Amino acid sequence: MNEIINYSSGFTEEIGWEWPISIYLLLAGISGGAIIVALLIRFYKNQVESTAVYKASALVSFFTILLGMVCLVGDLTRPLMFWKILINYNWTSVMSIGVAALLLYIPLAFVAVIYAFEKELREKLPFLCGIIDILNRFRAVLEGVLFLFAVIICAYTGFLISVLVRFPLLNTSILPALFVISGLSAGTAALCIVARRFFKEDAHSSDMAILHKVEWPIMAIEIMFLFMLYISLATGNAANETAQAGFHEGVWSNVFWLGIVGIGFILPLVLNFLFGKKIANTNVVFYVSALCSIIGVLCLRLFIIYAGQTFSI
Amino acid sequence: MSSENKRRSFIKGIGLGSALLGSIQYGLNASEESKKKKPHYAMLFDQNKCVGCSDCEIACAKVNHVPKGQHRLYVEDQTNPNDLKFKKYMRVSCQQCVDSPCTEVCPTKACHKDSITNIVTMNTDDCIGCKYCIVACPYDVRFINEETNAAENCNFCLNTNFKEGKEPGCVAACKYDALVFGDLNDEESYINKILAVKDAARLKPGFGTKPSLRYIPKLKTGVYDE
Ligand code: SF4
Ligand code: SF4
Ligand code: SF4
Repeated sequence: MNEIINYSSGFTEEIGWEWPISIYLLLAGISGGAIIVALLIRFYKNQVESTAVYKASALVSFFTILLGMVCLVGDLTRPLMFWKILINYNWTSVMSIGVAALLLYIPLAFVAVIYAFEKELREKLPFLCGIIDILNRFRAVLEGVLFLFAVIICAYTGFLISVLVRFPLLNTSILPALFVISGLSAGTAALCIVARRFFKEDAHSSDMAILHKVEWPIMAIEIMFLFMLYISLATGNAANETAQAGFHEGVWSNVFWLGIVGIGFILPLVLNFLFGKKIANTNVVFYVSALCSIIGVLCLRLFIIYAGQTFSI
Repeated sequence: MSSENKRRSFIKGIGLGSALLGSIQYGLNASEESKKKKPHYAMLFDQNKCVGCSDCEIACAKVNHVPKGQHRLYVEDQTNPNDLKFKKYMRVSCQQCVDSPCTEVCPTKACHKDSITNIVTMNTDDCIGCKYCIVACPYDVRFINEETNAAENCNFCLNTNFKEGKEPGCVAACKYDALVFGDLNDEESYINKILAVKDAARLKPGFGTKPSLRYIPKLKTGVYDE
């Protein structure tokens, strides 16, 4: 920008928010994404039993968000003071809104774990039966609220960083949408892995077939949003053009092209469609392409956090 | 809250004093009468006067106990390396925005506007060190204090010199009158008188944060013999 007067240096010598935040953003995305997809299948098929996909999603959601909390608190310069964020709220702060949402979301994700393992819990811990009965009465409502909050969790992580005006790559309205859709993508992949590996879900069961079908449209939308982000920066003002350099220059452009595009998009497509059905149906391809999706979304978060803050105005 | 109350009673206890305290009193009355405006403290940096001696930096660190190697403010040398005869310096510090993104994003309200003076300042006890304010500040002038691990910014010496009715440390230390501090809502203040006759700029007005720091840019290179 051409200002009459300005300074060139700032106080944050390198990056304000570092990789733990990227990991948190990934984990929150997986957590929300996995439960969104599983609940959609459940609502759509009017399922009453706890399917393998439901069980996997409950576990994935609950544990990824807990792990995310560890990253978040670990990144604080005063981690022992983290409780202050629970008692002080500032409603103009996306972070406060996010904390409030997490306070509802995490217990609800735990309730989903109870629903998922209802039978096992009743057998092993019979004294819990009373509580499970009460919870079951509100199951439809609680699952509805959980669904809503899963969407809020995915979206708020995008809003959290889209308010940072100094960074044109972050300060765009497409970011929350991109975060929701990439969360869905990583969440679905994590769901596939856990359902197959730990709950012996058949790769051709009807639930898996749905997951497999939705994967590609989700990826297509993700690519479209990234493309829109790129174009909006390329056609924007001078500051936006500075940020667009993030896609072409420096280490993080490699993360974009190799990690997000190469591993995240191209590799799964190649593995699943280029070598015919036989190869595509193997176990290895199943796990590898799911892992690729997760790695791609991790790279997306790293790229956004690092390239976003590198190209500031 | 408690520190604020302490300050309030402290101010009341001292009663009338220097011009500065007078304007704080003015602020207190304003909240009681609610018709008069709250003070709007501002600072002016004159690029034509600054010689880059960095006395202001040193004074700030001393008054506000800023850890070694860290700064609430510093003076950037903008002298063109190909033309060393014409020096140019620039103050880097919190711009004391009227619409301040840092206070907006702080989840614990540790970064807030002082209720009496409206100055953007910190309640160190409530800061968890999430660094949200740091990445949200469009001017990149917040930092984590290595000793307290809490975020910090230039707050016009609110809890040091200001509290004692003195000028901010940097202003008092500047031998060349490159810095002026005062209340924009006080028609009689010196800063208003200067702003009435000199052109001054705000940094990056495009962000819409309405900084309270004003800069008089060096536009001419001066009168000199070839
Ligand atoms: S310059 Fe930065 S730290 Fe200072 S008030 Fe503005 S946003 Fe806050
Ligand atoms: S680092 Fe401290 S002052 Fe800054 S936003 Fe976080 S809690 Fe608030
Ligand atoms: S003390 Fe005054 S002259 Fe010296 S660097 Fe600071 S503002 Fe400039």
